[in-house]
Amino acid sequence: MSEQFEPKIVAFVCTYCTYAGADLAGTSRLKYAPNVRLVRLPCTGRISPMFILKALQKGADGVLISGCHPGDCHFTHGNYHARRRWTVFRALLDFTGIPTDRVKYSWISAAEGVKFAELINTITEDIRALGPFTQYHGLIEETQSQASL
Amino acid sequence: MSIEVQYRNRAKELLSNGEVKLVVGYTGGTTPERRRPVFISSAEQVDRLVLDDLCIANLSGYLVTESLLSDEKSVAVFLRPEGIRSINILAAENQLNPDQIVIFGFEPAGNTIKALDGTNALEFSEFVVSLSENPSVSDSDPVIEKLEKMSAQERFSFWQDEFSKCIKCYACRQACPMCYCRRCIVDCNQPQWINTSPHTLGNFEWNIIRAFHLAGRCVECGNCDRACPVNIPLRLINRRMAVEARESFDHFAGLSMTQEPVLASFKKDDSETFIL
Amino acid sequence: MPKILSADKLDNCIERWKSSGNTVIGPVRKSNISAYRPVEKASEFELDIVLPDLSIKELFFPQTEPILKYAIRKQAIDTTEFLPPSGKRIVFGARPCDASGVAIDDPLFGWDYRDEYWFQRRNETVIVSIACVKADDFCMCTSLNLAPDSTMGSDILLRPINGGKGWLVEEITDRGRDAFASIADLLQESTESPVPPAAVPEKFNLEACVEWLKNPENFESRFWKEISVRCIGCASCTYLCPTCHCFDIQDEGDTYSGIRRKNWDSCSFALFTMHTSGHNPRSTQSARWRQRIMHKFNYFPGKFSLNKCSGCGRCSRQCPVDMGITETLQEISKLLP
Repeated sequence: MSEQFEPKIVAFVCTYCTYAGADLAGTSRLKYAPNVRLVRLPCTGRISPMFILKALQKGADGVLISGCHPGDCHFTHGNYHARRRWTVFRALLDFTGIPTDRVKYSWISAAEGVKFAELINTITEDIRALGPFTQYHGLIEETQSQASL
Repeated sequence: MSIEVQYRNRAKELLSNGEVKLVVGYTGGTTPERRRPVFISSAEQVDRLVLDDLCIANLSGYLVTESLLSDEKSVAVFLRPEGIRSINILAAENQLNPDQIVIFGFEPAGNTIKALDGTNALEFSEFVVSLSENPSVSDSDPVIEKLEKMSAQERFSFWQDEFSKCIKCYACRQACPMCYCRRCIVDCNQPQWINTSPHTLGNFEWNIIRAFHLAGRCVECGNCDRACPVNIPLRLINRRMAVEARESFDHFAGLSMTQEPVLASFKKDDSETFIL
Repeated sequence: MPKILSADKLDNCIERWKSSGNTVIGPVRKSNISAYRPVEKASEFELDIVLPDLSIKELFFPQTEPILKYAIRKQAIDTTEFLPPSGKRIVFGARPCDASGVAIDDPLFGWDYRDEYWFQRRNETVIVSIACVKADDFCMCTSLNLAPDSTMGSDILLRPINGGKGWLVEEITDRGRDAFASIADLLQESTESPVPPAAVPEKFNLEACVEWLKNPENFESRFWKEISVRCIGCASCTYLCPTCHCFDIQDEGDTYSGIRRKNWDSCSFALFTMHTSGHNPRSTQSARWRQRIMHKFNYFPGKFSLNKCSGCGRCSRQCPVDMGITETLQEISKLLP
């Protein structure tokens, strides 16, 4: 019997909203898929698109980027800048053949523990359905380094 | 009087009366079809300047050469329309003072070229606006359309083939007038951010990040595409980014010297459809 | 009587060589670029070109190659070395300038430290060159005391015969003789004379240029600044050069595990000589271009009695700003009395 594929997902989140939302999900004893590795950053404005590529390079099957809702940024407009970048970067990834379904973006506030838990579950299932990112994993294998994720 | 003679005379005049210290132009190359950049600093040498439809390279990158403009003297440069847009971007990004740049503008006209009226970037404002309104400058490209009809998997394979050729000579970066960083992200090695290894994985990373850094800044002069010794169609990826900047943010790179860089500005009501 | 290899026997040769465990490699055009690549059959070859875009260097000194794997544990560090890959290869249709480029690098890789990655590949590879019958404006082998039909570095030299129907075989080394012994029955005796090699005009007087380079007074000459003012500092000349051999060692991975790779590096880059302190002894592009020329025609010959250039002309052919070794040496010639 073949084991169910467990996708590896890396989430880059801002510390003020989404990370606090994840914290709330935890303290509320909400159960969610254990497939996500959270990386906490000061603001979505600090999440360089390079991080997304790095996660894929280390063997991730999916990436989530999440931060404060528009208007809620601790630094007033970090997420507005991030939103523009994501729009362009998403088009770039799409054009180079990196499926847009594998890189997700969300706004999750500190109060949205439930949204966080539900989103992680949905994303995990979505990416499980897509299967491992074999094309990118092929490139990693070629380098003879091991994917550290 | 041909445009070549006209511009030689003007170069001679500017150099003799000291209005400019240098003219950056074109001269003959190794073969009859080649033109190479030339730096003219005295009136006696202006006859070396050549100007015809084979003069294609965007020379604006030379203007941000370290310390060239720091003495506040002026420099003249031969520019096609894309080059003029580059000057606008370099000025908007505070890389040069546009008052120091004397422009010898020209544009293709059928099999030949014609002169553009104006001597500094400000005087080309209306002309650049007309470029932004002319749809032939941007938008559709048959190869891009073909790529967009492919599945993500097929597109990935297409770029895998192309990027696997990359030898990381960085000719694309060095030829690009917008790649003026003193220390490029790939040269940041404490720690090493971008893989310097030219395996396909590292090549994906390098080419994607470079395209992203040029998004909304690239004027599609084609310097990178022509410089690439392994013929990666870099123009496609840059064109796609230019279309994105235009469609999503109504941004035409190099529209003016006061234009805000598209990825260093925002509107509170920027629309998106993909954030969950 | 001289032997010829007929073009229609090439498929049989490839089959024969492959069945005895060789990988057959030759000029192939793929994704709009021609380079030395493995082939299955003769029709994949692109032989009717002046020379491939990429040089033969990558077959012996790949652009990136793993040398060591490491994993750091609490008490110990595990390392695994990547040994030089082995496997017999026959390169068919190499250009004489590429073959001589490889031979020029032999003393360098065997000097104080013997580079097994290079020599393992060298010893297992037979280079079958084809003398050039065409040249372009950038070819300059004759200026380097070489020729379109030089045998330097080749194990076999083939000279095209009329009508492109085959090649006259000239065996140069024992390695070449062995490789061709296995296809001896496919060769025919012939009295046909080969097509004369391409005419490559001499572009500069190398000896005189070298004298100028050796004069210490010229090290600080204004010439260097003037000749390289348009250089944009990319590495396409060095990476396409069949003799440029500089490399960098990079660790890829994280603190605990990773891989050490040997990657091409170039003296054109400012980072090449950048010290940790921030000081850069070759702080300008002209100093970097001077280094490239000096290394090729002054320092290297001083050590190994060989010019570090085989005259392929790729540096000038591909330069985004139409510079190159030819122009520089031609301009030096003009400075001579």
